[in-house]
Amino acid sequence: MTKKIDPRVKLLFVICISSLGLAFTKFSMLLAVFFIGLLISHVLKADLFMLLKRIKIMLYLFVVLVVIQSIFVRSGDSLVNLGGITILTSEGLSRGFAYLMRVLIILISGAIIATCDMRRLIQGLIQMKLPYDFAFMTSIGVKFLPLLMEELKDTLTAIQLRGIDIGKLQLKERIEIISYIFTPVFVGALSKAKKLSLSVECRGFRAFDNRTSILTLKFSPFDYLAITLTFILTATLIITNQYFI
Amino acid sequence: MNEFIRIERLFCSLNKVQVLRNINMTLNSKEFVSIIGPNGSGKTTLGKVITGIIKQDSGEIFIDNKNIKDLSLPEIGRKIGYLFQNPDRQIFASTVYEELSFALKYKKTSIDIIEKRVGEILDIFELNHLRDASTYSLSQGEKQRLAIGAILLNDPEYLILDEPTTGLDPKRKNELSKLLNSLINHVGILLISHDKAFVLKHSDRIIELYDGSLKNDKKN
Ligand SMILES: Nc1ncnc2c1ncn2[C@@H]1O[C@H](COP(=O)(O)OP(=O)(O)O)[C@@H](O)[C@H]1O
Ligand SMILES: [Mg+2]
Repeated sequence: MTKKIDPRVKLLFVICISSLGLAFTKFSMLLAVFFIGLLISHVLKADLFMLLKRIKIMLYLFVVLVVIQSIFVRSGDSLVNLGGITILTSEGLSRGFAYLMRVLIILISGAIIATCDMRRLIQGLIQMKLPYDFAFMTSIGVKFLPLLMEELKDTLTAIQLRGIDIGKLQLKERIEIISYIFTPVFVGALSKAKKLSLSVECRGFRAFDNRTSILTLKFSPFDYLAITLTFILTATLIITNQYFI
Repeated sequence: MNEFIRIERLFCSLNKVQVLRNINMTLNSKEFVSIIGPNGSGKTTLGKVITGIIKQDSGEIFIDNKNIKDLSLPEIGRKIGYLFQNPDRQIFASTVYEELSFALKYKKTSIDIIEKRVGEILDIFELNHLRDASTYSLSQGEKQRLAIGAILLNDPEYLILDEPTTGLDPKRKNELSKLLNSLINHVGILLISHDKAFVLKHSDRIIELYDGSLKNDKKN
């Protein structure tokens, strides 16, 4: 079933929850959006394990953010004092939580989009009147990304094999090394792009404004139901936010 | 001859496909060994496992009597120079000079010594006229020489060269031959290649891989 849901429906849902996530400021509302997103991503069998791994990294950032917000936003009650300096306030804590929720909502949105079959997603974008050259670019980007990651890893390995222990370098040198890692990958990507564009051009890409496709997407009754539900849900959330909390 | 690399009951798989099966061998310092075998027989994988780039499933590898599990990539890199099958993978600086001086610079070598040592390598590899050239515009053969030169500046005790003759014209191949001959008294070499003539010309020992297993290991 999850594969059969039209990617455009998923796109609509993701647009709704991420805009709500950005628009809402009240913590309870953000929490509600987060749980709805989590529920739907679970139904769609999104890769929540990846999400979990990212959350672990996020938690450090979260602690830092809460402290920074507490130090610089001078409002709310002081919760923790350290040598006369307030490092934790209730306001800082709630802002930090709100920030964490927003990031999580965005991550969930990404996980939901990742459940789409790429070919179908791009077809969906084309049928939403996105010019097919853009759609084609996106699809190439998606295909090349893992390759680029692999090249990055190889270059990093090659640098280490020169006897350079990146962990033991000073910060300034480490930053230099990062530029060494990225330069060959960018240059390689550019030259690949050049070759690809030539070969695509030779096969008459963009010779006509429209391109037919063997795959066309059609909304099923279930899709219409999902779209309606998404709209109702979004409206309910907005109304609740405005008048009841 | 002293034992330099020892491999015991090595198994390795990539993406759940078994690529190396029960490899046992020892490679001695200052010995010239070649690994031959058809495409996909696991030669590159074997080289990468020895260098610690790929982790094995089971089995042990010792370099200089130290288990590679206890060595970091930089530590292995200081002992073994590894030439990637595709030299693009290991050239990351933007000019030839920068590429060669790269490792020395981070080891806090003084400018005079860097100048001198890089100069030597530029001479040996006939790269002097390309000293300030962009590495991206080099030909395949020039990249190959640059990559080997950069490795040698690390003073490795052992070299693993993955198909170094691909893309070289006969003249360049000859020069590589000469270079290897000049190195053989100083370092051990593991040459991965299916260039029969080249292998026969240089090797003390030829190891044949077939479908991930050792098929043959004999003196040349
Ligand atoms: N990243 C990978 N994932 C899965 N299989 C791989 C990967 N890289 C190589 N292989 C497979 O491993 C086998 C050995 O590859 P390789 O060591 O490159 O062989 P050789 O260098 O002898 O040509 C081949 O069958 C190849 O298809
Ligand atoms: Mg190979």
